Amino acid sequence: MSEATRVMPKKRITTMAAKKRQEAIAGYLFMTPALIIFLVFLIIPIGAAIYLSLTDWNGITPVFDKGAFSFVGLDNYSDLLRGYHTDDAGEIVKATTRQKDFFIALKNTTYYVLGVVPTQTILALILAVILNQRWLKARGFFRTAFYFPSITSSVVISIIFMWMFTRGGLVNTTIQALFSGYDNNQFVNWLDDPRGVLHILLEQFGVSRTSVGDWASNRVFGLTLWEWISGPSITMSTIMILNTWTTIGTMMVIFLAALQNIPGSVYEAAAIDGANAWQIFRRITVPLLRPTTFFVVTLGLIGCFQIFDQVYVISSGGPAKTTYTIAYMVYLNGFDRSAMGLAAATAILLFIIIFVFTLLQRTIVKERANI
Amino acid sequence: MRKVHLLTLLVVLALVISGAGAALARQEVTLTLMGWSSSTAENDALMAQVEAFMAANPGIKVNVNLVPEYDTTIQAAFAAGDPPNVFYVDSSKLPDWAEAGVLASGEGKIENLEEHYESLLEAFTYNGTLYCPPKDFSIMALQYNKDMFDAAGLEYPTPDWTWDDLRAAAEKLTGTDAEGRTVLGLVTPPNFERWLPFLYQAGGSVLNEGWTEVTLDSDEAREALEFYVGMVRDGIAGPPSAVDAGWGGEAFGQGRVAMAMEGNWVIKYLLDQFPDLNWGVTELPKHPSGGQATMVFTVCYGVAADNNHPDESWKLVNFLTGAEGSKMVAEQGFGVIPPAKSAAETWLQAIGEEYGAGFLAGAPYAHKWQFPVGFGEVFDTFNSGLQLAFEGQALPEDVIADTAAVAEEVLAR
Repeated sequence: MSEATRVMPKKRITTMAAKKRQEAIAGYLFMTPALIIFLVFLIIPIGAAIYLSLTDWNGITPVFDKGAFSFVGLDNYSDLLRGYHTDDAGEIVKATTRQKDFFIALKNTTYYVLGVVPTQTILALILAVILNQRWLKARGFFRTAFYFPSITSSVVISIIFMWMFTRGGLVNTTIQALFSGYDNNQFVNWLDDPRGVLHILLEQFGVSRTSVGDWASNRVFGLTLWEWISGPSITMSTIMILNTWTTIGTMMVIFLAALQNIPGSVYEAAAIDGANAWQIFRRITVPLLRPTTFFVVTLGLIGCFQIFDQVYVISSGGPAKTTYTIAYMVYLNGFDRSAMGLAAATAILLFIIIFVFTLLQRTIVKERANI
Repeated sequence: MRKVHLLTLLVVLALVISGAGAALARQEVTLTLMGWSSSTAENDALMAQVEAFMAANPGIKVNVNLVPEYDTTIQAAFAAGDPPNVFYVDSSKLPDWAEAGVLASGEGKIENLEEHYESLLEAFTYNGTLYCPPKDFSIMALQYNKDMFDAAGLEYPTPDWTWDDLRAAAEKLTGTDAEGRTVLGLVTPPNFERWLPFLYQAGGSVLNEGWTEVTLDSDEAREALEFYVGMVRDGIAGPPSAVDAGWGGEAFGQGRVAMAMEGNWVIKYLLDQFPDLNWGVTELPKHPSGGQATMVFTVCYGVAADNNHPDESWKLVNFLTGAEGSKMVAEQGFGVIPPAKSAAETWLQAIGEEYGAGFLAGAPYAHKWQFPVGFGEVFDTFNSGLQLAFEGQALPEDVIADTAAVAEEVLAR
C-alpha cells in the first residue's frame, strides 16, 4: 500500500506531463495545415510586397534573376506621396503624374467609401429589422432574395448593370416612363459621364468654378481644391449603387443573426414601460446591436477601400480617371505600366489607410460605448 | 569467336542505344505556345496550323494554350521564370518585354524576311534589334453606311477625301432614325490611338525619331485635336457611348452612326452580326494639305529568352509566319490580315475585295502603335482629357499641353 502510494503519484506525474506534451504536439499538428496556408499565402506575400515596394522591379523580369531589380529605398513612396516641393537646389518640383493619379484614386475611393458604407449599413439594418418581424409572411423567401446578389459573381452582376445603365437602357427608359419630361436627348450617360455629383449640385445653386473665386485653384497634392470637392462622378455613382445593392444582403444576414440574439424579455419590458415602436428601435435595438454595427462597418470599410473588379469590368478607370481607385492603381501600375515596385508601394499604402480607418473607427465606437 | 561475339554485341548495343536515343529525342521536345483566345474559327485555324507543323516535324510536340486575361497570365509566367516557349507579342508591349529581357532576339533566326511588310518588321524592332516576325495585322480605315449616304444624296467616300469632306458629310448625315433616336455622322472613340492618324495626317508627331524628345506640343497636334473634338462639340460626331454602343463597330452596325474608323477586325463582326447592313470601306481621309496616314495594330510570335528548345521554337515561328502557314490563315478569311505579302492576295479573295481592299491599301503608309515603356500614363492622361474635351470641360490645347508634359516626365524617368 505504502509502496503503491509512493510509486503511483510519480508515475502519474510523468504520464500527465507526457500526455500534455502529446496533446500539445497533436494540437500543433492539427493547426499545421492552417499555419502553413497562413504562412505561404499571407505572411510571405506580405513580406515580399513590403520588400518589393522598396525596389524598382518591373514585374516582368524573373524575380529571382540577378539584376532583376535594384533597391531604391523609399523612392516609390515619395513618388506617390511627395508633391509640390522644393528640391535640394531650391527649385520647385511639381507634382508628378504618378502622384496626381494616386491622389485622384484616393479622392475617388474616399467618396466611394463615404457613399457606400453608411448607405449599405443603414439599409441593411432596416431590411433586417423588417425581416425580423413575426407578422411578415414568406420571410425565408425575402431572406434568400436579398442575400442572392451577394453570392452571385461580381463580374456577372457588373455586366448586367452595364446593360441596364447604358444610355438607352432599362434605367433611362424607366425614368422616361415615369417622368415624361426626361426625353432621349437629356438621357444621363450613366457609364460615361465624368461630371462630379457635388459639382452638379453646386451648379444648381449657381455655384461654379468661375464664381467661387481663386481659392479653388490652390493645389493640394497635385489637385485643385475645386477638383477635390467634385464628389463621385456619375459613373462612380453607378458603381456605388451597384455595390451597395450587392453587399446589402451579407450585412443584412449579419444583422438578422444579431437581432435574433436580443432576448424577447427586453422588448417586453420596454413595451410594458410604454415605449412605442420607434423608441424601442432607437433605444433598445440600435444600442444592443452596437458590436454588430462595428463589425458590419469595419467589414464595409475594408471591402469598399479595396473596390476593384466592378471598376475593372465597367469603366476601366474612365471616364476621365473618375473611377480610378487605389486598388485599380495597384493593378495599373503593376500590369499596365510595368512598375511592380510602385504597385507594391501603392498596395502597402492602401493597407495603411485601411488599418488607420479601422483603428479610428474602433476608438470612436469604444468612446461612444463609454458614454 | 568469343571476341567476334563481343564485338557484335557491342555494335548491336550501340545501335540500339543510339536508335533509342534518337527515338527518345524525337519524342522529347514539347513546346508550349501561349496566346489569347479569339473567335472559335480563328482558334481552330491556329490549331490546324499547329497540326500541320507537327505532321511535318515528328520530333516536336506543340501544346497550344489560349488564355483569357493574357497580359496578366503571361506576365506572371515571365516573373516566375517559367515562360512558354512561343507566345503572342502585341507591338505595344514589345518595348516593355524587350527591356525586361524576356524576349529572345530574332536576328539571324527569322526566315523569309523579304516576305514581310517593312512597316510591320519595324514595329517589332526595338533599339536596333529585330525580335519577332509578325503574326497578323489590322489597319484602320473608314467604314461608311451606303444606305445612309444614298438617302442623304451623297457620293460615297473615296481615298481622295480630305478632312473637309469628312466633316461636310458627317454634318449632312447627322439626324434621327425611324425610332427618333439620334444618328451621328461619325463615331469618334475617346482613345489616343484613334486620334493618332489625324495627328500624323496633319504632319505632327508624338516623339522624335529616336524617342529622345517629345514633339507633341505643336500646332499640328492642336489642329488635329481641335478638328477631332470640334466635330463632337458641334454634335455631328460622338463617342460610342453617346449612341448606346460599347465600341465603334457596334454603333456602326446598329445604324446609329453613318461612318466609323475601325480596323479590319470589324469586317467579320459586321458580316456576322449585321448581315443586312449595306456598307463599304475606303482609306482614311487626308489632311487638306494631302497628308496621308493610318495606324497598324500588329501582333508577333515571340520566342522566350529563357528557353530550353530555342531552335525548335524558331522552327515553329518560321512555319507559322512563313508563306505556307500564312496561306492557311489567309484562306479562312478572318478579320486579321496574314503577315506574308504573298498571302495578302489570298486573304483579299477570301474576305471579299469590297471589304478588304480599303484596309490593305493603308499598309504601306501605316504608323505603328508603339511607344516607350511607361507610356500608359501618357495615354491615360490624353484619354481623360479627351473625354473632358468632348464634354466641353477642357480645351484641346490644354489637353495637348498636359499630355506633352506627362510624356516628358515619363521619358525623363
